[in-house]
Amino acid sequence: MKKRSQYREIEDFLEDESFRLWMRSKKDVDGWEEWTLEHPKRAKLVEEARLWLLAMKVPNDDLSQEEVDVALQNAWMKIEKRERESKMEIQLIQLWHTGWFRKIAAIFVIGLLSFYAYTKYFTAEQLYYDYSQIVKGLDEDGLLEQINNSNRPQIVTLSDGSSVLLQPKSKLSYPKVFTGNERKVYLSGEAFFEISKNPKKPFFVHANEIVTKVVGTSFRIKAYANQSDVEVLVRTGKVKVNSEKNVDKTSQKEIVLLPNQALRFMRKERTFDKITDITTEKSISNSVRSIEQLSFEFTDIPVSQIFKTIEQAYSVEVDFPVKKLENCHLTTSLSDQPLPEKLKIICKCIGNNTTYTMNGNQITISTKGCN
Amino acid sequence: MENQTLQKLVQEDNELWSQLKAGDEKAFSILFKKYYGYLIQYGNSFLPFAEKVQDCVQDVFTDIWVYRHSLSDSVVVKAYLLSSVRKRIVRLQQRDRIFNKSTSMDSVTFLFDFSVEQQLISDELTAGKVKHLNKLLNDLSARQKEALYLRYHHGLSVDQIAGILNVNYQSASNLLHRALINIRKEWKGNLALIMILLANWI
Repeated sequence: MKKRSQYREIEDFLEDESFRLWMRSKKDVDGWEEWTLEHPKRAKLVEEARLWLLAMKVPNDDLSQEEVDVALQNAWMKIEKRERESKMEIQLIQLWHTGWFRKIAAIFVIGLLSFYAYTKYFTAEQLYYDYSQIVKGLDEDGLLEQINNSNRPQIVTLSDGSSVLLQPKSKLSYPKVFTGNERKVYLSGEAFFEISKNPKKPFFVHANEIVTKVVGTSFRIKAYANQSDVEVLVRTGKVKVNSEKNVDKTSQKEIVLLPNQALRFMRKERTFDKITDITTEKSISNSVRSIEQLSFEFTDIPVSQIFKTIEQAYSVEVDFPVKKLENCHLTTSLSDQPLPEKLKIICKCIGNNTTYTMNGNQITISTKGCN
Repeated sequence: MENQTLQKLVQEDNELWSQLKAGDEKAFSILFKKYYGYLIQYGNSFLPFAEKVQDCVQDVFTDIWVYRHSLSDSVVVKAYLLSSVRKRIVRLQQRDRIFNKSTSMDSVTFLFDFSVEQQLISDELTAGKVKHLNKLLNDLSARQKEALYLRYHHGLSVDQIAGILNVNYQSASNLLHRALINIRKEWKGNLALIMILLANWI
């Protein structure tokens, strides 16, 4: 620091703490007044420096003691908060650095992941519930299985007299003899059912995710395992369709279908789509099989013609003595009857101890001729 | 504190500083009370939002306490505090989108105006001179005013001012020197005119 005797510029004075003090608060600690008067040139400099200081006032907007105290309190609060936070951070870091915690965290994460994967896989499996799962889940013995690997429909006759026309690439599981109060069969693929009437023993068809309940009627079910929907189409009578209990526990929807109504079940969304007029649904009406188109209303029709209709409808061969039945004509309605019933009625109408035997697709009529 | 010399002040501050570093809450409180007002004033000259400035200053002290173990021993406390507050306000403005126009250290502007020490002026002649000088001072650039404020109000050294303004020593020195030279030149030139005007007025 320069001695004040060497001050030549106003900066020298402005920088001097003691000088500033003298000018601003008139406290002359170092005898500035006396020193200034010693020299006229010096006095001029001092006067100019004074003007500078007077022009450079910084307003003293002093804060009250209270304001400062409040601010200090605030600062302490901020400090406390920060210290709490950093303490917690340190604890977390320490916890992370202890081996067991990381192990447990790892196990937890793996567990969570595998649980997620498991449930995802499980629900994916549950999404489609089909024939193979249904049949696998059954502990009933004595189930027969008919598989149609040919390219023609096959007729299956059940123990109650019902007949099922099984389409190619389709399977049907059914008991040799129906016992108990229910008749249950399991279908994969497409089939046309003609059920013999028995109100005491309702008939159930389990096909993929849906169950179709009937008492006596004819209808078709299309339920291939690899297709996204299941179709039920009613020809005569009334059927009720439900979703499988195993599949849908929450909403037990029951849909009633009347003749010429159909239903489509979307397997992915689990929704039922009822079609009240099948002629408007091209995909369904186009797939109508010959059996559903053929009329079984016969008025004075030669027996040979009737047998031809049956052959066409059920893809069977009917062997009958042509000559003996040459002049036989029948008037009958066979629309709502399963195949065995139809044959029985025809035989009865011909009379004269007429009987039939059925062996797979081969039907043989033995008769002595009509009345 | 006005009747203490600068050196005494620095010594006292340094003692409090080392006590604070050792974890003395009382030293912290004393320093806080001593400088809070100055720092608020300095901060207010950058930001027109009093609450934000208060927050900034309190945060500066909070940081000092929380990180007291890693504080440097050799600091001039006053310069350190002023510098910290300035940095914090710069950071705040950078973060604040409303103000986000530039990103450099110079982004804050010293919006402060010097006033005239009326109470110490007794005659009209001096009053006129001082008024004129005050106008010239306030017409200086924001950085020059800030430098003058730090130099002649807070008594910081050129070194410390250079640190706060983030420039080298020479730049800070020039900033101060040129402000004075220019004003004096202009002032001397106008002084005669003022005298005439004043004479007429009287």
